[in-house]
Amino acid sequence: MSENDKHYVERCLDGHPDDFRYLVRRYQAPLLANLAGKLGDKDRAEEAAQETLVRAYFNIGKLKKPGSFFSWLLGIADLVAKEQYRKEQLQRRRQIVRSFAEEAPRTELSQDYALETAIAELPEAYRKIILLRYYGGHSCNQIAEQLDMPLGTVTKTLSRAYAMLRDALEQQEQASSL
Amino acid sequence: MNCTECKELLVAYVEGLLDDSQKQTVAEHLKDCPACQREADALTGLQERLVRNGKTVGQSDLENGVMNQIVREQNIRLKAAAKATEALKTRRTIMKSPMTKIAAAAAVFIIATVIFVNPFGSNVTFADVIKPLLNARTLIVDVIANMGPAVDEETDPVIHDVIVDQRIRRVVSTQEHIVNIFDTESAKMLTLHTEGNIAVYSDIQGQVQDMTQNYLVFLLDMITDIQNNPDFEAEKIGEKEIDGRKVVGFLARDLTIWADAETALPVRIEGQSERLSIVFKNFQFNIPVEELEPLVSMDVPDGYKLVEYRKEEFDMGTPTEQDLVESLRFWAEVLLDGNFPEVIGMTEFTKMLPQIEEGIGKLEVSDEEGAQKGMTLGKGMLFYMGLKDRHYVGNGAKVGEADKAIFWYLPDGSPTYRVIYGDLSVKDVAAENLPK
Repeated sequence: MSENDKHYVERCLDGHPDDFRYLVRRYQAPLLANLAGKLGDKDRAEEAAQETLVRAYFNIGKLKKPGSFFSWLLGIADLVAKEQYRKEQLQRRRQIVRSFAEEAPRTELSQDYALETAIAELPEAYRKIILLRYYGGHSCNQIAEQLDMPLGTVTKTLSRAYAMLRDALEQQEQASSL
Repeated sequence: MNCTECKELLVAYVEGLLDDSQKQTVAEHLKDCPACQREADALTGLQERLVRNGKTVGQSDLENGVMNQIVREQNIRLKAAAKATEALKTRRTIMKSPMTKIAAAAAVFIIATVIFVNPFGSNVTFADVIKPLLNARTLIVDVIANMGPAVDEETDPVIHDVIVDQRIRRVVSTQEHIVNIFDTESAKMLTLHTEGNIAVYSDIQGQVQDMTQNYLVFLLDMITDIQNNPDFEAEKIGEKEIDGRKVVGFLARDLTIWADAETALPVRIEGQSERLSIVFKNFQFNIPVEELEPLVSMDVPDGYKLVEYRKEEFDMGTPTEQDLVESLRFWAEVLLDGNFPEVIGMTEFTKMLPQIEEGIGKLEVSDEEGAQKGMTLGKGMLFYMGLKDRHYVGNGAKVGEADKAIFWYLPDGSPTYRVIYGDLSVKDVAAENLPK
């Protein structure tokens, strides 16, 4: 898998920009899931994911290890999300000042915003594996290969990630039932 | 298997990563341990939730959006890059040498060429004197022209010409760093900016080409005729000394020709017409062609950068009334604080060259627009010079005075005059209605 990433990254660098679409196909869902929890709103997440991918494309020459494309992508996504969040805060503040306007109702990316938020709050090492596993459609073996770690580490990390997710989800449920 | 061992394997178990015997062991423990079973259920529940969410999220397709945006941004970046390169190029050109100088100087070249023909061309036609041009294949001469009744040799601009066959190399004293080389046969001109090391080709076809060709014929005819026939039908007006040489003067039609008393080669020619005073002097004849040929080469010299302009942007050949109107506008608005010039014409234009350059520089236009402006000014003067029946009365008029005529002329074959007013509008006016 990571060799494939490397292959497409190099193709892009060699003047085949169209091959970037394979990387988009592969990582758009994990990326969206990552951003959904951070930004909440479906449109915003899609916008940020698109921005992340476009930014990645134009900066692909700066990617030092073509095999770690996804980790790098998540880094860009975090940056984009932060920027967007800041921008929105600013806008909201202006809006409040201007008219005390009600916020427009949000379209959630999926039915499970709680889960997405929980994922978004995971430390990166755990988040990455969950994203690849469930949104990128990778098997544990593929993840082990891609992240260059033993399968046992993948399952252990996954196990820890599940535990954290469950904790987070339980806390959220408790909070909302109060 | 105890509960701790089971929990450790649980993820691998639900992920289907265990071998058959391990799987069997875990399954058996789960059957007997409700706590571990709950744990396994919770895990599967979470997994299912993740899978479900993964499917939903996976429905969003960014591929087209991303690829389209990449293409769009790529284009914007390419355009921006091209623009930056262009801007850099333009800036370099500006810094190296203002095109405006070249354009304005090129205009002077043409104007100077045309002006000599108009007043005399029809009079001095030695059509039958197509003599061998052997002695006149090369000629170097200084020309001073003035639109008034006399040439002021101290202050009027001097045009220095080197003529080799069909080619003329010309430098005007007000702009000695600009060299124009004109090939009358192909109607192409090479302009060199010797300080900026810039070269420009321009086309001078049409009306102007005919006039410039006449110029050469005119000069050669005049000279060869006198040289070969020193006592041709002209009134001898006496002898005097010029630069220590004994010269004999002849009055032939509008021309006074002072020729060397021994060689019969002209030393100085003075011309006078209603509109123009002109002096040719410092003649040098019979310099070997090989010696002068490099001076009139139409190739871009080594070390020069060729600046390319589209033909329509650098075409001297077709001056129009609009060029004259724009020249007047520029002259008044930019150079003279809203006042129209006292007189207009070649001498004034040539003298004004440095101010014209400066004026164009102040316009805050791109180099190309500046060059165009220079062209327009030159062409405006060309148009003016080409008119037979023309009257300039702009002295004292200001831009915007719509009821004040500043200039009129009679177009060839037209029953009515064209009148340009102070607001730079142009109207057709019958002769009897012209301003007094």
